[in-house]
Amino acid sequence: MSIEIAGVGKHFGDFVALDDINLTIPSGQLTALLGPSGGGKSTLLRIIAGLESADSGTVTIEGVDATGLPPQRRNVGFVFQHYAVFKHMTVAKNVAFGLEIRKRPKQEVRRRVDELLDLVHLRQFADRLPSQLSGGQRQRMALARALAVEPKVLLLDEPFGALDAKVRKELREWLRRLHDEVHVTTVFVTHDQEEALEVADTIVVLNEGRIEQIGSPDELYDAPANHFVMSFLGEVSTLDGRLIRPHDIAIHTVPGPGTIPGVLVRSQRVGFEVRLTVRPVTPGPDVTVPLTKTFADTLGVREGSQVWLEPSAAGAPLVAS
Amino acid sequence: MIREPRPLKLALRWLVIGYLILLVLWPVSLVVTNTFADGLTNLKTAFTSPAVLSALRLTAKVTIWAVVLNLVFGVGVSLLLVRYDFWGKRVLSTLVDLPLSVSPVVVGLALMLVYRRDSAIGGALYDLGYQIIFATPGIIAATVFVALPLVIREVVPVLIEVGDDQEQAARSLGGSGWQVFWRVTLPSIRWAVVYGVVLALARSLGEFGAVKVVSGNISLRTQTATLAVEETYANFQQGTAYAVAFLLTVAAVACITAVSLLRPREDAS
Repeated sequence: MSIEIAGVGKHFGDFVALDDINLTIPSGQLTALLGPSGGGKSTLLRIIAGLESADSGTVTIEGVDATGLPPQRRNVGFVFQHYAVFKHMTVAKNVAFGLEIRKRPKQEVRRRVDELLDLVHLRQFADRLPSQLSGGQRQRMALARALAVEPKVLLLDEPFGALDAKVRKELREWLRRLHDEVHVTTVFVTHDQEEALEVADTIVVLNEGRIEQIGSPDELYDAPANHFVMSFLGEVSTLDGRLIRPHDIAIHTVPGPGTIPGVLVRSQRVGFEVRLTVRPVTPGPDVTVPLTKTFADTLGVREGSQVWLEPSAAGAPLVAS
Repeated sequence: MIREPRPLKLALRWLVIGYLILLVLWPVSLVVTNTFADGLTNLKTAFTSPAVLSALRLTAKVTIWAVVLNLVFGVGVSLLLVRYDFWGKRVLSTLVDLPLSVSPVVVGLALMLVYRRDSAIGGALYDLGYQIIFATPGIIAATVFVALPLVIREVVPVLIEVGDDQEQAARSLGGSGWQVFWRVTLPSIRWAVVYGVVLALARSLGEFGAVKVVSGNISLRTQTATLAVEETYANFQQGTAYAVAFLLTVAAVACITAVSLLRPREDAS
């Protein structure tokens, strides 16, 4: 149920944007399409919305074959990266748009718009024009506008991509809470792995038009299917011929079982943490280990010190290809 | 702002003012003063002449038709040029500009060749009861032709700047093609459309060359206001010529004033 994508392909000239995508997006969940730019995630989202047509394959939304349906008949809400607000309409009119198109009674439209503006905390801005709102407020308005028509599916294309870091963080926490309240099937596109890990129930990693892995944030982080997923989801070091997350490496001043000796070549303080760069005696690149400032102080090492690195058992490191 | 030395700044300012006075302000003001040289006599004479009244009515009629046709066609072509990709788009884009570069007299002659009674199309239309050349339809056609690019050239850049984000959002919210056009596209280009219409209006009121060729310049029947100005002036009825010229000037100034009064409100929002 919910969204079934079967055998979807899309080319732009010689460029393969999507290559035989098969994917089921479960109802009521928040799913992230994660990947680098040009990976095909936005194209897939636009194909689900009907804003782009697939060269091959089918899209089924809640049991209805939507492949040939125009966007206005798919019953999806779409939120754009650059808000796509109707500049000439007030905030309330923007939110009311979908309802007015559907010729709902005036009373009902007003009630629903008020409800939604409360939901996105924009009630007091109802009569303003979008140009008088901040970026974050505009995007919340766009979200309310998309939700107004009670879509079966809510699609968000890099919804926080145009916002500054602080607002982005606030809004994604807010989106998570909103989703817990509204429970509409939601798919959002992002290239920010932190955003996906923090907000999504399920993450679909897309790269070069193909799905690399599907899973919960924990599954993806702890058991990445391949090198790409592992390195895309967070920082990666190579130690002893294996890929490992930097914080899964313990650092000691005395040798122990399974440790790898090395020399501390650089110690860099960045705010609350200290990043130690260690050159292992085994062949391979330098390894950076992040530590808290307090722990680094108790360790008492300085550049040139002999240290021992211990890969922690918690991670499931991949063999470096 | 570049800081120029003071004498240079003053010199440039007076050069521009002098240029505008000599080419625009003085000649136009002479039309006004000549019109009212004998008080309201010239205007009274003009407004009691059946030929002048007929010419003014024809100009009004032709202008309304030309503006409406160019409005509908102009907005349609602009959407086509900006929102769609098709074979021959560049050729079409160039063709749309052609009326700006071709002399109106040539336009008139060209229309004449296609629509005169002894041509294939003109003949067929005449048999159906429609006379084009030496009649109102021909005058409208010539006016539409010369004013054709004005709406398009105003609307196209604005359509490009606005982008299609809002239209896509409206589609995803359930809007049909028409609903999206009326509720989203048109409101976002409305000022460009207004400017285009005003320019087309001014151009249509003032068209002379193309109209002269296709109309035959028959007083009381196919003579427009501009043609009446020329004829009355050549026939030593300068007073009447000044009066009609004055009216045409007033109409043009009213157009420009209307736009400049409307515009600040838009900027403030």
